[in-house]
Amino acid sequence: MAAILEIQRLAKHSWNQDNRESPYLFEEVSAVIQQPECISVIGPSGQGKSTLLRTLALLDMPDQGDISYAGISYREKDPRLWRKEICYVAQQAVMLPGSVEDNLGTASRLHGEVYDVQLAEQLLEETLLAGLDRKKNASELSGGEKQRIALIRSLLLRPAVLLLDEVTASLDNISARAVEHMLQQWQAREGTTMIWVTHDLEQAARTSSRTWFMSGGTLLEDQQTIDFFRRPATEAGRQFVRFLASEAAL
Amino acid sequence: MTLLALSFTLLFVIATMLISVWQKLGLEKEIATGTIRSAIQLLAIGYVLQYIFRTEHVIYLVMIISVMIGVAAWNAARRAPGMRGIVWRIALSILTTELLMMGMLLGLNIIEPTPQYIIPLSGMTIGNAMVVAGLYVNQMRREVQSSKGEIEVLLSLGATASQAMQDVRKRAVKFSMIPTIDSMKTVGLVQLPGMMTGMIVAGADPVEAVRYQILIVFSFTGSAAITSMLLSILSYRLMLTKELQLRPIPEGTR
Ligand SMILES: Nc1ncnc2c1ncn2[C@@H]1O[C@H](COP(=O)(O)OP(=O)(O)O)[C@@H](O)[C@H]1O
Ligand SMILES: [Mg+2]
Repeated sequence: MAAILEIQRLAKHSWNQDNRESPYLFEEVSAVIQQPECISVIGPSGQGKSTLLRTLALLDMPDQGDISYAGISYREKDPRLWRKEICYVAQQAVMLPGSVEDNLGTASRLHGEVYDVQLAEQLLEETLLAGLDRKKNASELSGGEKQRIALIRSLLLRPAVLLLDEVTASLDNISARAVEHMLQQWQAREGTTMIWVTHDLEQAARTSSRTWFMSGGTLLEDQQTIDFFRRPATEAGRQFVRFLASEAAL
Repeated sequence: MTLLALSFTLLFVIATMLISVWQKLGLEKEIATGTIRSAIQLLAIGYVLQYIFRTEHVIYLVMIISVMIGVAAWNAARRAPGMRGIVWRIALSILTTELLMMGMLLGLNIIEPTPQYIIPLSGMTIGNAMVVAGLYVNQMRREVQSSKGEIEVLLSLGATASQAMQDVRKRAVKFSMIPTIDSMKTVGLVQLPGMMTGMIVAGADPVEAVRYQILIVFSFTGSAAITSMLLSILSYRLMLTKELQLRPIPEGTR
């Protein structure tokens, strides 16, 4: 059986050529995802974690290498159909004009499908937004509300692969935990593969079975989460874990 | 009007230039070239028209309208530097507008099928379409710039190019029609339009002149709508790459 997602020697050129030693933002990124799982992506900022996710969703083009979904290269697929399966949820939630309901119904409107009100309600409830007035103009929501609405908006597309870019960054602890829990349940029900960028090591440990550590312009480590946290294979990995752990202790 | 009398109006220009020198506005050179250019252009078009009206040959009519459309398209396209393929799309929108307009005016016998009517009315239609097209492409770029996030959300949810650009297109079309609609609302109250003024000065009955002006105002509104919508259909795809990503917008908005 073909892998869900296969990344082969993916590279992205860097814009700012002069102040870098390598002409790449990242290069030689390879990984295979055989079965639905949750992968945490961690690493210092500016390493290209967001760019990697955007590239996987074809919102940016790969400069080198290949990505295949279910055995088919992105080159042979309509980007629109690709994005229906592999959906990127941005760190900065952008609301579309209209009400909360309009936003939640976007995917169904785009694809001429029925809007699953019950599912939407359930997800709102699970992310502690049960009391939210769905007729409200989406632009009036708080940052944390927007982020959750944007996430649910993407879930309602029911993609096979979800690319989550720090989707709990502007949430308080309680809401963040609720979102984590909701996503875990979603994965159990739908068998969705998740690639999840996070700055929160505990969140990574709680949610993922596998961890990607991006550093030094590449995917430096690809390990079982337990193994990575017990003992990162590289010096950079050890430093990063130590650094984040000391920050969390403050 | 004698040529001598006309020459006296140059006194105004000279006075303006003197003021510019005196006040150090630095506009003398531009005023001079502007004066000379407009005089030559207008005189030349006068002789061309005189010749065409006498010969009444269709080929000349087609030629002069083609030139008008070409110049208008080129001029409007300057508002979208670096957008490849925009010139012919603008030209096609203006041409379609012109054909529909003339088809209607001639078909319904509103105007006579002679160059005396066709050329000035075409000139106005094409000129108006040019302004609308320029406004449209300029605004389109601004809208895309300011709605990047929204467009990407739609793309990331699997939108087609047309779905992703729909709102932006709608807003740019609306914007490009604002001046036409505004001037429709205030025409006759704020300004007496050029054509009507010209006809009255030339001795036409004011009521007759007004009828033509109404015709112009209505056709302008119609042609603005047609140009802008057609251009939006023809050009929205240019804002996205083949792989449905936002194309970076080249610098410069004028
Ligand atoms: N081709 C590129 N695409 C995206 N960002 C690039 C590129 N080349 C250089 N950069 C820079 O690299 C950084 C990438 O950041 P990002 O992908 O958001 O990383 P992270 O999510 O790990 O913080 C940004 O500062 C960006 O300006
Ligand atoms: Mg990022």
